[in-house]
Amino acid sequence: MDKLVSFIRSMVQPLLAVIVGLAAGAIAIAVVGGSVPETYAEMWKGAFGSFYFFTNTLSRATPIILIGLGVALAFRAGFFNLGSEGQMVLGALSAALTAIYLPGPAWLKLIAALIAGIISGGIWSAFAGWLDAKYRMNLLITTLLLNYIATLFAGYIVSYPLKDRTGSAAMAQTMMIDKSVWLPKLFKGMSLHYGFIIAAVCAVLLFLFMRYTVKGYEIRMLGGNPLFASYGGVQRGKMMLLSMFVSGGFAGLAGSIEVLGTQYRYLDGALTTPGYAWSGIMATLLAGSHPLGTAIAAILLAALQTGGMGMERNTEVPLEVSNIIQAVLILFVSAKITYSFIKRRKAARS
Amino acid sequence: MLLQMNNITKSYGNVTANSNVAFSLRKGEIHALVGENGAGKTTLMRILYGMENPTSGEIRLEGKPVSFSSPEDAISHKIGMVHQHFMLFPTFTIAENIVIGREPSSGIGFDRKAAAAVTEQLGRQFGMPVDPWKKVGECSLGLQQRVEILKVLHQGAEIIILDEPTGVLTPLEVKELLIAIKGLATQGKSFILISHKLQEIMEVADRITVLRDGKVTGTVEAKDTDAEKLSRLMVGRDLVHMSRNEIPAGKPVLEAAGITIAGSKTKPLLDGVSLHVDEGEIVGIAGISGNGQSELIQAISGLMKVDTGSVKLLGQDITGEQVKAIRERGLAHIPEDRYQWGVAKDATVAENGLMGHADRHQRYGVLRGSGIRRMVGEWVSRFGIKTGSLSTKAQYLSGGNLQKLIVARELAQNTPFLIAAEPTRGVDVGAMEIIHGELLKKRDAGGAILLISSELTEILKLSDRILVMFEGRIVGELNADNATEEHISLLMAGGKAVG
Repeated sequence: MDKLVSFIRSMVQPLLAVIVGLAAGAIAIAVVGGSVPETYAEMWKGAFGSFYFFTNTLSRATPIILIGLGVALAFRAGFFNLGSEGQMVLGALSAALTAIYLPGPAWLKLIAALIAGIISGGIWSAFAGWLDAKYRMNLLITTLLLNYIATLFAGYIVSYPLKDRTGSAAMAQTMMIDKSVWLPKLFKGMSLHYGFIIAAVCAVLLFLFMRYTVKGYEIRMLGGNPLFASYGGVQRGKMMLLSMFVSGGFAGLAGSIEVLGTQYRYLDGALTTPGYAWSGIMATLLAGSHPLGTAIAAILLAALQTGGMGMERNTEVPLEVSNIIQAVLILFVSAKITYSFIKRRKAARS
Repeated sequence: MLLQMNNITKSYGNVTANSNVAFSLRKGEIHALVGENGAGKTTLMRILYGMENPTSGEIRLEGKPVSFSSPEDAISHKIGMVHQHFMLFPTFTIAENIVIGREPSSGIGFDRKAAAAVTEQLGRQFGMPVDPWKKVGECSLGLQQRVEILKVLHQGAEIIILDEPTGVLTPLEVKELLIAIKGLATQGKSFILISHKLQEIMEVADRITVLRDGKVTGTVEAKDTDAEKLSRLMVGRDLVHMSRNEIPAGKPVLEAAGITIAGSKTKPLLDGVSLHVDEGEIVGIAGISGNGQSELIQAISGLMKVDTGSVKLLGQDITGEQVKAIRERGLAHIPEDRYQWGVAKDATVAENGLMGHADRHQRYGVLRGSGIRRMVGEWVSRFGIKTGSLSTKAQYLSGGNLQKLIVARELAQNTPFLIAAEPTRGVDVGAMEIIHGELLKKRDAGGAILLISSELTEILKLSDRILVMFEGRIVGELNADNATEEHISLLMAGGKAVG
């Protein structure tokens, strides 16, 4: 009973944020002269209107879920990993190169590509953790700035040394990965692929890990009160490297899956332009770092994006309206953080 | 009657914090409010100070009914409160802290000179002189308290609520505070004093109201009662008098030799500290807090690196080892500050109890929930920890109940060596009795305990040997049998041992 009440209570704020976001969107629609019910109906159709659109939404949600899980893990351990974008890009690049250049059977290439993506994303993230543990460099800043190094480095790699020179198009991209190494589609003719299953399984596994294992317990205590954790024998430095590695590993996996399931090559900007990393961070914040909640929030955000595209196709309302809704969401989610921060301060005082 | 609180009831959901409480205050009176942790003292005062609304009941000020929706409301009705944790700006001067919110001005500017003059005048008027230009951060805790009281007086308070005012003070500062309170009372100010230190209450209070489980169990004139009767009203039963059994000390369990930690200041934090704790022995470390006790605890438990010196546990060198390794070798640790070190407030009672026990309650790295709940549940019933359930977040437990949980957790480690730092800070008499009993039981069973406490009575009651710390050094060692409070106080203040 108590659990139910506290669950409902924890849902009030995110739901409120969504409702206010939609209300703000309604105002924006009215301002540009669209019909609010009609526009929202088109948005709904664009996101969930048919099986095709629904799977399209899930497919877009896949990298967002994985990134969100990574950020959630780091957040639970008390670290803010803003470097998902760079970690995802490096993961994607490593996965693409592994899939293209590694000799051997296709299934081996696929698995090796996924693992390469996880490891490179993980190392990039753990590097920021190491800078913090060793030189006390602020994690918020290092993770953020390492994004630029990673994306520009990947851009350089596909613009010069490993650029695809087989086609006539002068795109900054790698060669196409062989068809045998692609992640299979779940349904014929749909964009949804097995990556979504991987993401869903990861969400459940992370949930179980955080709740039921010793390591998960130590990570939560470290996030709850670092001094308490170190007093109890948890090694902060070691746990930080570990959780940052896993956190970045999720982002790297997101990039690899996007490459192996959707893009089939590393194309410069293909992962950064849709803002997967930032949507993932938002999903985590929206769900208060709960792994399953993060997955649901990621689908919601993906639906807003695919719905926005549907809206733009079929109405006069521009795509930016769905961006407005997202922006208001962020605003109210950050209000939630401040609100709980104030509550904590008040509790500390009394 | 200056203030009357009639039939005050406050419930949170199905928990009743105050039930039909009656409380009154005469002009110029010092009225103490005592009770165990969670008895509802703080709730009652939060209602009076406008921080909570009562579920039912009325407050009358000079006969007129009033209701406060915020502390500002209460302040405008001449009610002031000094909180347990001081609310001062350490980088500002005393004068700036006192006049805050009611600053004297010259034009649109803040008139610092006038503020200093007001502060000086206030200090003189109420017999609590302060230097208005001094930064609060550089003041002792006793002086900071004085600043808090002057701030409340500057706000025009006639009724002053003091929440556990002596918790952080040295014995001398406590004496000064009590004298100051008495002086203010003769000038017509009225005080409500929340405390669990019965000795001090008997010394200063005119009347005493005792709360237990949210109900008033008695309002008595101080001259008609004594500490024993009060504790019976608080706990609801007689307290057992404990005595230490004489047992011979055994082999050394902990040996520290010449521990030095330089720190960043000119004086080292720890300066060549050597001590040993033997089987079946409680060694008490007395001292005013901030004289190296925290660093000593952290050095022994592995939370802080030592510059020179060594620590041995059961004959093995543990200097520089990881906390976990030291704990596994046989150290448990009741931390000095429960909120800083002892718990994660957002985690549940069960999760907080699991710290340090996780390895015993897992298989293949997966926690075994039923075993954990059984273990923590057993502590809850044995120590009488008041909690909604094992899934209640630690932040909802009162300080004393949280402390009991921590003590239970560390005792259950069943290690040969235990650091007990301020084991009963902010804990009521009932819980104190339980905790002291458990510590003595562990000692009688051959355990070695290093007790660090700023409460002299606690040190004298439990210790077999007493070491006194001052400015990072051990300045005296006394045998419990011939140690006196005066002698220890002198050493604590840096005075030389006599004779």
